Amino acid sequence: MSQAGQPMIETAALTKRYGSIVALDGLDISIPQAAVGLLGANGAGKSTLIKLLLGLIQPTSGSATMLGMNATRDAAHVRERVGYMPESDCLPADVTAADFVAHMAEMSGLPQRAARQRANDVLYQVGLDEERYRLIRGFSTGMKQRVKLAQAIVHDPQLVFLDEPTNGMDPQGRGEMLRLIQRIHGSLGITVIVSSHLLEDIERVCDHVVMLDRGRMVAAGRIDTLMRGGGDIVVRVDSDQSSLVAALIARGVAARVRERDIVIAPGGERDAIYDAIRDAVVELGLPLRGLQAGERSLEDVYIQTVGGADVARGKETVHAS
Amino acid sequence: MPAESAGQPYGEVYDLGYKHYDGERLGRAHAIRALIVWSMKRGLGIRKRWTSKIMPALLYVAAYSPALIVAGILAFLPTQVDFSYGSLAGFISMALLIFAAGLAPEMLSDDRRENVLALYLARAITPVNYLLAKIAAMIILMATIAFGPQLLLFIAKVLLADNPLSYFGNHLGDLGRIIAWGAIICVYYTAIGLAVAALVDRKGIASAVFIGGILLITAITNALFDATSGTLRDYIVLISPIELVQSITGWLLGGSGSTIGNLVGPAYLVGVVAAVIAAGLIMQRRYLAEE
Repeated sequence: MSQAGQPMIETAALTKRYGSIVALDGLDISIPQAAVGLLGANGAGKSTLIKLLLGLIQPTSGSATMLGMNATRDAAHVRERVGYMPESDCLPADVTAADFVAHMAEMSGLPQRAARQRANDVLYQVGLDEERYRLIRGFSTGMKQRVKLAQAIVHDPQLVFLDEPTNGMDPQGRGEMLRLIQRIHGSLGITVIVSSHLLEDIERVCDHVVMLDRGRMVAAGRIDTLMRGGGDIVVRVDSDQSSLVAALIARGVAARVRERDIVIAPGGERDAIYDAIRDAVVELGLPLRGLQAGERSLEDVYIQTVGGADVARGKETVHAS
Repeated sequence: MPAESAGQPYGEVYDLGYKHYDGERLGRAHAIRALIVWSMKRGLGIRKRWTSKIMPALLYVAAYSPALIVAGILAFLPTQVDFSYGSLAGFISMALLIFAAGLAPEMLSDDRRENVLALYLARAITPVNYLLAKIAAMIILMATIAFGPQLLLFIAKVLLADNPLSYFGNHLGDLGRIIAWGAIICVYYTAIGLAVAALVDRKGIASAVFIGGILLITAITNALFDATSGTLRDYIVLISPIELVQSITGWLLGGSGSTIGNLVGPAYLVGVVAAVIAAGLIMQRRYLAEE
């Protein structure tokens, strides 16, 4: 069992190969008790990572620990304490939501009476009240997503994997789903791992992010830390901005004038940029009135770390693997 | 006097928010039991639309009616002919064949087609547990038809005998044969049914493949038997499902048996074991092999 403050998930050189294809390549990650976004393009290894952590497939090498237990050796025990909401359709058509979620609670070891009670409570929490007695066949996409979420948390897991939780939902339903996810972590203290291609969703509900690219981790940490200081560098001097821009360009720094400021786009060694600014200002004898590093969006972070060309906000994609 | 004015609380606010669960967790064995019960209910159409209940109900009526009628005849016309268990077996094995055609896809096909399997395997159970639960659920349901009518007839015979205790003692062998026959036919049809259901995702198609396949193979093997000669043709019965069942019935319960079954009794078990092994390999390939 994971102790307070200990990572909920830890992997050490976790590798998974399918023949000559390397799905995960020596992954070392540590995921705290938090709301964590799992980002990566198609084939980045997100689904493989989730399957490995759930003990559904065996690693080629390396190890993974979940909730303090070995994810491979103690897979069944791990899964008792973990919830999973798959991306794809996974609900039986000719069953009521109440019956199905109660059955899933029993499948996680809850006694029959408790399972039925929990199912009713959780379905109410996800916004399915009277509808829970209807056959799932008649549900909208949004309602099905809620049932999927309900079955993932009905047994009160310590950690829940949500794979594309807003998939196919309209804007209103998407907003409600994101609020539910925020509550799951914020109010209930359940560690949430959201695998999504929607950067906006991740930015809204997660406080940590793990970015994967071709089976490797390319960035991980608190989102606010990753976003901090990585944006444009803004320099303000009282006069002679054009001379300063020329001096910076001469030092290899891509600077331009924007209204009263000089703006330097992120790229290259930031310490070297700061050195160049200092040297240019001293050389020109200009009074430096302001120097500020702007914040990046999660999209900027993703583009700069992964270099993904198909990153987009909203409905567009960083394709989910 | 109103409760409010009497200083009594007149209402309460309940926190309907999500609560953590701190009750008992019964583990994997409970999950397997839950899956068996759930699968049995679905197999019988319980908590499903009324149309799902029609076929199981008709099959139970078809399987139990002859036994009830025979028991009635024995009760009211005790001097008439003694009905053999083999005479009931024809009705029962036909009901079992149709029951298996409907049950096996209900056990496996939907879970795979609707991807519910992904949710099951993300729970405490393993793929082996899942398969064992499904096999158990199907065999239990099949057993209610395979054993029930025959046991009903056996009990009727015991109760209607001049000396029930001595009749029971003298006919324990009948009980053994009834149980052996029921178990073998259950396992045989369950194995073939689940193998088909493991390969076909649509329930209707799986049922049609099961029934059609059994009838077709039986017809082909019968033709093969007629067209060939020599001792090898005696073994054709082992791959001819309906003839094999009839042969086993003839061997264990008496009656006419199969026209192409000329082997000694236990040899027929080779056909059953082969079917079980083939089904096991198919299910292993479909459920246990890593992607």
